[in-house]
Amino acid sequence: MTRLPQGGLIDRTQTLHFTFDGEQMSGHPGDTVASALLANGRHLVARSIKYHRPRGIVSAGLEEPSALLTVTDATGSTPNLKAPEITLRDGLQITSQNNWPALDRDAGALLALGGKTISAGFYYKTFKWPRDAWHKTYSKIIRRAAGHGQVDPSTNPALYDKRHRKCDVLVIGSGPTGLSAAITAAQAGATVVLVEQDSDLGGSLLQSADTIDEMPAREWAKDAADALRTLSNVIVMPRTLAFGQYDHGLVQAVETPQSGSASTSILWKIRAQRVILAAGAIERPVVFPSNDRPGIMLANAVRTYIRRFAVAPGRRAVVAVADETERRDTMAALQEAGIDVVAALQPGDKITKTTGRLHVSGISWRGANGKRHSARCDLICMSAGWMPTAHLFAQKGVRLSFASETQSLRPPQSDGPMRPTGGARGVLTTADCLADGKTTAHQVLAELEMHKHLNLNQPEATPAPAQGFQTGPGKAFVDLQNDVTRSDVALAQREGYCDIELTKRYTTLGMGTDQGKTSWTNGVLEIADITGANPETIGHTTYRPPYSPVSIGALIGAEVGNEMVPTRRTPFHDGFERLGCVFQTSGDWLYSRYFPTAGETMMQAIKRECLATRNSLGCVDMSTLGKIDVQGPDALEFLSRLYCNAFAKIQPGRLRYALMLREDGYVFDDGTIARLAENHYLVTATTANSGSVWRHMQKMAQVDWPELDVTLTSVSDHWASLAIAGPNARKLLTALAPDFDHSSEAFPFASVREGLLGGDLPVRVFSVSFSGELSFEINTPAGYADALLTRVMDLGAEWDITPYGLETLDVLRIEKGHLSIGTEIDGRRTPADLNLGGMVARKKSFVGGALLNRPALQQTDREQLVGLQPEDGETSIPYAAHLSQSELDSKGQAPLCGHLTAAIESPILGHSIALGFLENGQERMGETLWAHSPIAGKSVRVRVTSACAYDPKGERLHD
Amino acid sequence: MLLIPCPHCGLRDEGEFTYGGPARTLPALDQDTQVWRDAFFAGQKPPGPMTELWYHTSGCESWIEVTRDTATHDILNSNTPQSKVDTP
Repeated sequence: MTRLPQGGLIDRTQTLHFTFDGEQMSGHPGDTVASALLANGRHLVARSIKYHRPRGIVSAGLEEPSALLTVTDATGSTPNLKAPEITLRDGLQITSQNNWPALDRDAGALLALGGKTISAGFYYKTFKWPRDAWHKTYSKIIRRAAGHGQVDPSTNPALYDKRHRKCDVLVIGSGPTGLSAAITAAQAGATVVLVEQDSDLGGSLLQSADTIDEMPAREWAKDAADALRTLSNVIVMPRTLAFGQYDHGLVQAVETPQSGSASTSILWKIRAQRVILAAGAIERPVVFPSNDRPGIMLANAVRTYIRRFAVAPGRRAVVAVADETERRDTMAALQEAGIDVVAALQPGDKITKTTGRLHVSGISWRGANGKRHSARCDLICMSAGWMPTAHLFAQKGVRLSFASETQSLRPPQSDGPMRPTGGARGVLTTADCLADGKTTAHQVLAELEMHKHLNLNQPEATPAPAQGFQTGPGKAFVDLQNDVTRSDVALAQREGYCDIELTKRYTTLGMGTDQGKTSWTNGVLEIADITGANPETIGHTTYRPPYSPVSIGALIGAEVGNEMVPTRRTPFHDGFERLGCVFQTSGDWLYSRYFPTAGETMMQAIKRECLATRNSLGCVDMSTLGKIDVQGPDALEFLSRLYCNAFAKIQPGRLRYALMLREDGYVFDDGTIARLAENHYLVTATTANSGSVWRHMQKMAQVDWPELDVTLTSVSDHWASLAIAGPNARKLLTALAPDFDHSSEAFPFASVREGLLGGDLPVRVFSVSFSGELSFEINTPAGYADALLTRVMDLGAEWDITPYGLETLDVLRIEKGHLSIGTEIDGRRTPADLNLGGMVARKKSFVGGALLNRPALQQTDREQLVGLQPEDGETSIPYAAHLSQSELDSKGQAPLCGHLTAAIESPILGHSIALGFLENGQERMGETLWAHSPIAGKSVRVRVTSACAYDPKGERLHD
Repeated sequence: MLLIPCPHCGLRDEGEFTYGGPARTLPALDQDTQVWRDAFFAGQKPPGPMTELWYHTSGCESWIEVTRDTATHDILNSNTPQSKVDTP
């Protein structure tokens, strides 16, 4: 154990047990998996992606490039988590990745011996021939070997949620800058949300030896956090990673609550007027030969493990820290932990090599005077400087600029919602960060008119160390996660991949789960070194959310399976359940599909329902149709402009079938227009288009023709609608005892009446038909649906009334050649294509009329709707077939002249029928074609007929 | 995700709205095909301020005109497309 006997922010009274590659280990609450592994003396935790080199824990934060682990708990396993980001919990099973058969004897490491051949571009150059081999051979082998951890394919039982929050000032990060900004904003009365990715608040203060207000920094942070938590205008959110900045002050963050498992998380959408980005800075590693061995760590990480987690990450340390203050602080921390400082390198020293097989065991360097040194050690603390964490700021497309005085990419001044502050703009000392947080908070408070403007001085960015370390020849890693070395970066420049975007993709520098958090600036400096370019001109690749990987489950939230969209049920749903209905999802609706009797299959039920309706009486739910109430002196003019057919002569009490075009002349929707009174109409829209037709009509009324005095009301959900259809429909209507004259003379086809059934049930009855039979659509206020259904079923029993669902509805309409949205009305059809050219009014102007007259839409040989029947009168026509004049050739191909939109077995006709679009179809009646269905593996000879296969004269609509 | 100022409901989240395309002045319905074709299909959309139609689906169900800078997403203006005063 390398746990120090005292100190640290861990709860030593409790012990948590976990395993690493099966080995039992323990830690304490307050530990991360990284600190617990180090406390158990474990440095080697991973193998690198390309060369399978031994790798350890480099950092103490989300920038971790090397220590990627698979974590298994009760909810399953999650790959590629960074050791420092995982809060230790009891019972975690941690496994290393990318090694076989074991972490300390990895067969893949043999690749490292041939390391020179796997340089940047190796795959492109090596596997490009023979031509077919990539797909057949190489990709299969390489894909198996590529990547880090394995995805757990089992269903994830963890719960996820999405929530919203709103505030005046959002502070991201709780180091000295964030705490200072949050306190300042809170004191002015602003609503403040403070998010911190870590479980503890304090950021760098947790491992700082500084004092603030004569208190140790860590205690000051605790006091500040406690004070913020007591304020009613402040919400403190630890364990919450702000991962993306979006428009107008929206920040998305993912919270991993303390209780429960690591994969249970909440996606927060936080809308703030101002966002103070106090995300701090990331330490820049030193590039030198074999700088990747376990035991080589960032200096700040070493201080963190010692002071926050009470872990001694080694016994003999070499310090290679460029900044003098930080070097002294690091040496102090090492001494606090009782670690021997065997050497402290001076800036300008050239590091020539390190040694060690599974752990660093020594380092060699040359002093500025050329003198060679070497030291035996098990820990190297390195730092070349600091890089602002301005990623969230740059995600909105603002370019960061490389500043030579800080040797890092810095955000420019901004007057947008997000303000990088403190470390995120290169301000590094604790005192300066406290001042910068306060200054920025006052600035945004003044902008929000919550405080008077104060002229506070903004601290300057902290300059980079005057001199860094030199590096000798050898495999020196720039990007540890992707095994990108100095020579790879140099090779990309030599081969012409000089643009930074190309360098990234050619070498994989800055890719992967860490997105170059530790490597990017070093990469830029290498390129500048090789090409002699000014690093300020090199730039950076595009920053995109998420800042650090976020589980897909968190982004989806609870919207899975049946919870993806609300389920809509019609007013008849409960009544249909009692009738044994089988339901199906149709758009948002759970709609009746068929009503089987005991032991009946779906096909048997459909046949029975169809024949019962054609021969006697059926009933079907029509409630999902869109229903729009149109009133006003200009209602007729409004509808006349909106629909393409003429209906000025429509009398009160009558209705018309009507067709609506889009502005570009194609058919949009069909429905009926019923004139209820002089200036009162009710129009229907198809179920699928009910929302879009409503929006379209609103647009015309509100935007295009505000001069028309018309009022629109959507009444779709107010009415339950049950159609009774069949030769006995009027007899049932009589039995229902309406209080209006409903004889065939007084209430003919295409009429509407309002009244009461049986003296008490309010209804509107429309004599319209989708089935082709005599039919009445009885509408009643939705609350009376059950009463209507009960009466219809009770009184209809005399004619053996048969409820039917979507399947039979479809069969009946296909027999009649009636149109359906999405199949026939598919957004590419003119009225003439649908054999409705005669409906288009000649004497009025309407939406779509002008563009319908475009020559291509008026050609007579366009695809037109036709019916199709098997030539032999019995073979079943396959669904999803294409039409051709010829048989399939030896390659299974044939020139096409159309396709089917629907194919069914017609119970009343006793054979298969289909609808389809056929080039110049109206001129090809009687022609024989092939219907080829590659899906069904079937080709059938079909004869072209009229789209209406049953009762073409429409005699059955009348009695 | 934009914040859109609805003239009726105030500042609302983009998720409440349905996009309705650029606000265009369409020809009268009796204009001929050529005039309609030029107006409907030949529009240019250079980056910068553009007046658009948005429909407040999960709100007041009104169409509104919003002037948005398509390069920066700054919302410059929003208003009702008509001057007609609603009488309750």
